[in-house]
Amino acid sequence: MKLVGIVGSNSDQSYNRLLMKYIAVHNGDLFDLEILDTKDIPLFNQSNDQTDSGPIQFMKRKIEQADGVIIATPEHNHTVPANLKSLIEWLSFKIHPLDNKPVLIIGASYYDQGSSRAQLHLRQIMEAPGVNAIVMPGNEFLLAEVKQAFDEFGEIKDAKTSEFLQVTLRKFVKFVHVAKALEEPKPLPKEDLNATGQIATTIPDVDMRAADWVEQAAKKVQAVSGDTYVQLDRGILTVDQINYLLSSMPMELTYADSNNEFLYYNAGKEQAGTLAGRRPDQVGNPLIVCHPAKALKNVEWVLQQLRAGKQDVIRIHVPKHGPDKYVVHSYQAMHDDQQRYVGLNEYVMDIKPVIDWYLQQTKQQLVGTTSTTAAVASASVKSEPVSNDAVASASVKNEAATTTPAKADGVASASVKP
Amino acid sequence: MENFVAIVGTNSVASTNRQLLQFMQRHFADQAKIELIEIADLPMFDKPADKKLPPLVQTIDAKIMASDGVIISTPEYDHSVPASLSNALAWFSYGEHPFVDKPVMITGASYGSLGSSRAQSHLRQILDAPELRARIMPSSEFLLGHSLTAFDEQGNLKDQQQVAKLAGLFADFLDFVKLTNQLVHTKKINQQEVQNFSWDKI
Repeated sequence: MKLVGIVGSNSDQSYNRLLMKYIAVHNGDLFDLEILDTKDIPLFNQSNDQTDSGPIQFMKRKIEQADGVIIATPEHNHTVPANLKSLIEWLSFKIHPLDNKPVLIIGASYYDQGSSRAQLHLRQIMEAPGVNAIVMPGNEFLLAEVKQAFDEFGEIKDAKTSEFLQVTLRKFVKFVHVAKALEEPKPLPKEDLNATGQIATTIPDVDMRAADWVEQAAKKVQAVSGDTYVQLDRGILTVDQINYLLSSMPMELTYADSNNEFLYYNAGKEQAGTLAGRRPDQVGNPLIVCHPAKALKNVEWVLQQLRAGKQDVIRIHVPKHGPDKYVVHSYQAMHDDQQRYVGLNEYVMDIKPVIDWYLQQTKQQLVGTTSTTAAVASASVKSEPVSNDAVASASVKNEAATTTPAKADGVASASVKP
Repeated sequence: MENFVAIVGTNSVASTNRQLLQFMQRHFADQAKIELIEIADLPMFDKPADKKLPPLVQTIDAKIMASDGVIISTPEYDHSVPASLSNALAWFSYGEHPFVDKPVMITGASYGSLGSSRAQSHLRQILDAPELRARIMPSSEFLLGHSLTAFDEQGNLKDQQQVAKLAGLFADFLDFVKLTNQLVHTKKINQQEVQNFSWDKI
């Protein structure tokens, strides 16, 4: 489960941040918690709409991708701090990422009220029609006299308090599932797989389907090549040097822009076959051309997820390469500095050599796998006897139990969806 | 004649709360001098460690301090006061404490029918906070619903019943100011407490 934790204070030394970090560190088995700060969020002003600015779009994307949100609020003047209120106002003005989102409210404060009034205000705020979050009822967690609450290692001193927090968090995880059941499915906009649109970088008047699209398009825009310098972020290379670098990557890279046009791959012309089956004549194609008809539904689903910001990366294991490879296609969304979707980078990699190398270096083996993880396990089973070192074997088991099912889960959810 | 400051509770360029305060300024000109205060140019509150306040905050603090009373007109954003008003009040209660024992009248206007009722009740709680300690006029809600159509071209309130209600509340407020000035028993303690108050000491 993926959660984001919003720290409602913009001061550097915040006990609510400390509380959020504590939750993140102690609950790795329950959820992944990414902590978000409100520091860069400007004060809301309806006459100066900054919804499209980077910090607000970043928040929007992170919240949309999360299964639930934890908000830790301090109390200023009997209410929530202005910077937290400001963030919520931005997120209820032109965009509504908190709509139907399960939310847990917690708070820490200097004095014995423990942010009780701020939490009540925040509940009412989250219920407002423009916000429309689903706040978990009851289970009020107030961390009072916060200066004394944590020890020097950032641990909560009082055992009863930390136990109550754990109970609350476990309930919230269940609440997230319950709240999901309430949600009306919202269809995402259709994807234009024919790339009929025109974005600023689309090269006009060249047939996208032409086998020599690259040559024609390069002529059209007078694309630089060879030893011409290009300034990058961060560095300067010639076009040749960029090619050397990209060709040496241990994975195949593919660039499809936000108009769904296939613009680039890094395998080089000479290479006979690639894992992803790219051909030089495909470059320039609309995405509909480079996929078989039966795959188009999945292609569209992946693009919808990435464009809408539902997920940043979608991984799919493609098993057709046989047992000696474990080939993973990762569809990674790309964004500009204003957090706008600019296209996807599909990188394809056989991860088996990496896993083998890791196991060899750390003298570990994969053991104790379940059937769902058999694909990974069987690919890397070793003939060596199991190490009799208790510590090592314990950590190996742990490795297999925690990371591989998560991966298998990600693959399953990515490929099962229509 | 009493001197009041009236805080426009939003940083928006277009605001019916500003319109309402401008109307009050004109309509009650024979009873009190009302100066409108804008909060749009205040920076985001960041608790400056050295307690050095931005010049604009110092200016407004001084105006509130010198006034006989404060009128705050608030819109309602997400069931509460706008972040910009909350931000302003954070500044007006940090370092200096101009609201302590200051008579305050709350009004509010909203586009919908509820007239910022929930924001007003939050604002009352906020003004009761230890570093604000205002004297809020009790039992005196003025809710202006459907505020976009509430004013005529001259900026006057169209509904005469509303005008009469506002006039009654304003007359009450003038009395409330006098009354508050007689509530001297806790004044010294309030001043002392707020000077000594620090979240870090609790």
